[in-house]
Amino acid sequence: MLEQLRHLVEHTRAQGASYVDARWYPFEETQSLVMWNGNLKDNSFSRESGLGVRVLFGGAWGFAASSFAGEPSAVFSKALENARAAAARVTFPIRLADRDAVRADFVSPCTIDPFTVALRDKVGSLQHMDAAMDQAGVAQRIGRLTFVRKQVVFLDSEKAEIDKRITEVFAQMEVDGNDAQGTSHERKVRLGCRGLTRGWESIDEPWFSRQAERLVEELNQVLIAEDCPKETRSVILLPDIMHLQTHETIGHALELDRILGYELSFAGGSFVTLADFGRLRYGSAKLTARANATMPNSPGSFGFDDDGVPAQNTLLIDKGILVGAITGRQMVEEANAKAGHVLFPGSGGCNRATSFYRVPIERMTNINIDPGSDGTLSEIVSRTERGIVLDGDRSWSIGSNREQFHFGCEIGWLVDNGEITRVVKNSTYKGDTVRFWNSLSAVGDDSTWDLKYVDNCGKGQPNQIMQLGHGIPVCRFDDVTIGV
Amino acid sequence: MIDQVLQTLHDLRTYAIGKGYEIEFLYQEENGSLMRFANSAISLNTSEHLIRLNIQATLDRRQASVGLITDLSRADDIKGTIDMCWEMVQHSQPLTYQPTVPTYRTSFTDESAFDRPLAEMSSEQKLAYFNEAALGLESPELKLSGIFSSGSNTIALMNTRSDHSLYFRTSDAQVTAVLAHAGLKWELIAEQSAQAAPDLDPAALHRELSFLADRFESTQPSQLPLGAYDIIFGPAAIAEMLGVMNWVGFDGGLMKRGYSFLQASDLGRQVFSPLFTLIDDPDRLETFPFRVDFTGIPRRPWPIVDQGTFRGFLWSQDSADEFGATPTGHTVAHKSLAMGGGDAQACSLPDLVAKRRDRDALYVPFLHYMNVVNPTKGLITASSRFGALLLRKDGSVGIPFNVRLTQSLLDIFGGRVEWLTQTTLPYNTTHSYGARNPVAIIVPRYMQVHGLEVSHSNPSF
Repeated sequence: MLEQLRHLVEHTRAQGASYVDARWYPFEETQSLVMWNGNLKDNSFSRESGLGVRVLFGGAWGFAASSFAGEPSAVFSKALENARAAAARVTFPIRLADRDAVRADFVSPCTIDPFTVALRDKVGSLQHMDAAMDQAGVAQRIGRLTFVRKQVVFLDSEKAEIDKRITEVFAQMEVDGNDAQGTSHERKVRLGCRGLTRGWESIDEPWFSRQAERLVEELNQVLIAEDCPKETRSVILLPDIMHLQTHETIGHALELDRILGYELSFAGGSFVTLADFGRLRYGSAKLTARANATMPNSPGSFGFDDDGVPAQNTLLIDKGILVGAITGRQMVEEANAKAGHVLFPGSGGCNRATSFYRVPIERMTNINIDPGSDGTLSEIVSRTERGIVLDGDRSWSIGSNREQFHFGCEIGWLVDNGEITRVVKNSTYKGDTVRFWNSLSAVGDDSTWDLKYVDNCGKGQPNQIMQLGHGIPVCRFDDVTIGV
Repeated sequence: MIDQVLQTLHDLRTYAIGKGYEIEFLYQEENGSLMRFANSAISLNTSEHLIRLNIQATLDRRQASVGLITDLSRADDIKGTIDMCWEMVQHSQPLTYQPTVPTYRTSFTDESAFDRPLAEMSSEQKLAYFNEAALGLESPELKLSGIFSSGSNTIALMNTRSDHSLYFRTSDAQVTAVLAHAGLKWELIAEQSAQAAPDLDPAALHRELSFLADRFESTQPSQLPLGAYDIIFGPAAIAEMLGVMNWVGFDGGLMKRGYSFLQASDLGRQVFSPLFTLIDDPDRLETFPFRVDFTGIPRRPWPIVDQGTFRGFLWSQDSADEFGATPTGHTVAHKSLAMGGGDAQACSLPDLVAKRRDRDALYVPFLHYMNVVNPTKGLITASSRFGALLLRKDGSVGIPFNVRLTQSLLDIFGGRVEWLTQTTLPYNTTHSYGARNPVAIIVPRYMQVHGLEVSHSNPSF
């Protein structure tokens, strides 16, 4: 197959294409197990295999994909035909930023391949989670385990050839209950990116037991709590909500395809313009953010992106000033041309596709915030006069240019005069992105920093779901509207 | 095509029976293409031809499933996968209830929603459509974005209980055209859903975009004060809210699990506005319907809300099995929701703007990034997008920056509803995450609701 693909890449190039690449998935396997109130509601396995081909012709992209393994030449022909048709309407001929044509392998770190573990052991793990959550006050208990294993072979007309083998483990547990008014509440936790590998070894049953005790205790506190007040306070965001705040209002806002208007018919644009790089005070001086795809253990680390560009660690915001973006080969060329100078020296290696049948687009890697020097969570709380500690993502809604947002949280703890006073329910907060990040008044130290994952990030047309990470500390923001 | 698909399933069924397995097969074949526009160019032109096969095994109270995206010529691989699925079910954990494996009493074939000219539209035809829709509207500042997604979708089911089969084939198109101002960042939208080629009308998109562009180019936008507004929702916004209601409102399983804003005690009660009627109507081809559900239950128009009175929860087979309810024929990839119209006359945006009014009203065509803040309260939040207008009682039209609404669906569709248009239309709500599953909801062209709170107001686009 590989030799045939090499030939077809060359053949398509010879027909006038300025660039051709192919992503062949010999396999992508996913195992999903969901236990809901003791019932194994999902015991499924999926296997996908196929070919996706991208062709650049006349400054325009064509793409085709098929699960018909016996017809790769037809996929190349269709992609070229699509590119020729697209070339009829070009306003900025697509060019790709230079990069070295890499020939390499990448294997994600994994000690125990989860697909070699017996089903009964996986179900046993879920039963363990379920039993730990089965306590008074809990109406619904849900445990999820998802395992992914895939091989992606990438080759292009610039002679890059990359073989990636990636294994992922995702796990989540959730307890739900209804208060005296019948309103539902939830507490959940995702496994996170613990340790340095992401195989079966990361399923740590004692950790899940401890988390279950904590979740149930907090849920029961929420069920008898008063509503979150409608007022202005400092908000102290714990990692299970801070990662989503970062995701939605730094990550998506800094995707270069959004900034350049390529997502306007669906996901939306960005308040950021090309003129903002190097100038915009995105946040307070306590904010330093980066796109770091070189961390060993995260779904946001993948060795090489689907442009064949190696993983990188790119500074996005430096002490509050916007300096970088989430980029791929096409967009940096266009941005530099439109800016009239070099804004981005090369691709940031962030172009990724969710499957063989989708085209790569700018995607977050690990969008992280550096730990700060404001101490532990306790120390931050002790220095907060009037605030609320928030945790757990319950709902999220963001303006189409990422300029404003509304988040609902699972639990809130009011803080008065440096002490936590009581739990509140139905906690929400909202704000304007730049104003909010400029109100960042405390960033926790290493002890508060945690690497979380997002396994359901949606973007693009045709739509794509992507997995990625966020390494974040506890952060405090001042003068935030809560309870609306 | 149908013969080949059913023969494949028949062969797999024969294999499973020969091994003594209890297996259900769901075959899905999509042949789709999507032309995407951005910055007034074709930014992407794709084609995908994919076959999915889902294999579900049941052994007493145990279930397991395997999904494949594959090539049917790999018959031995597929048979091996059936064996694997049977192996999985033996190691599964028994459910606390008995899952039903349906017995199809008769075969059912429906290709009435398939239109070959639409399914096989060429790139050139799509480009011509877009060129007509945007004719004369683009400029160096005003750029065209959008999609033209079209294709066909085939679903076939068979199991080891009987040799009967279900077969559905549809064609669909979803068109979105957006004009966005590069500097000022405002965005305008016009959309169309098609089940057959004659449904496509680029001139209609052009009229709507042109009307909006004239106003946006000649009016200075402004920030709206917070507070209560009469809001006129457009079809996209109405359909999006009905989609959420379908999820955390009428679903019997979610109600039993405590996630619904409707309760069993709401049955037969006036929960919504008397102006609100909603049915699941598989006779509407525009919704790409299933006229038999995946367990073989024939589907008929099913009242959900009748003039504000809640008529019943919808039960899939699995939820019905778990909670001891009777399945209602809603084990389908999607329902065919159809909201009834009212008596207000406004067939188009110019009609709406020209309509006489005694109070100002905020027109919200589209709700961006809607999420459920609290399902049991029906509380949603979302931002306006794509061409909101402030329609003043003096006849003038303002351009507001986007605003956020955080409101209960019980309020929006409750006693605050003032009027609905007589005209209804299908709004395409298809997403292309995973398998192709074209879906549209029939909605009134416009719906006015009194006194909804704007909870956040942007100072700019």
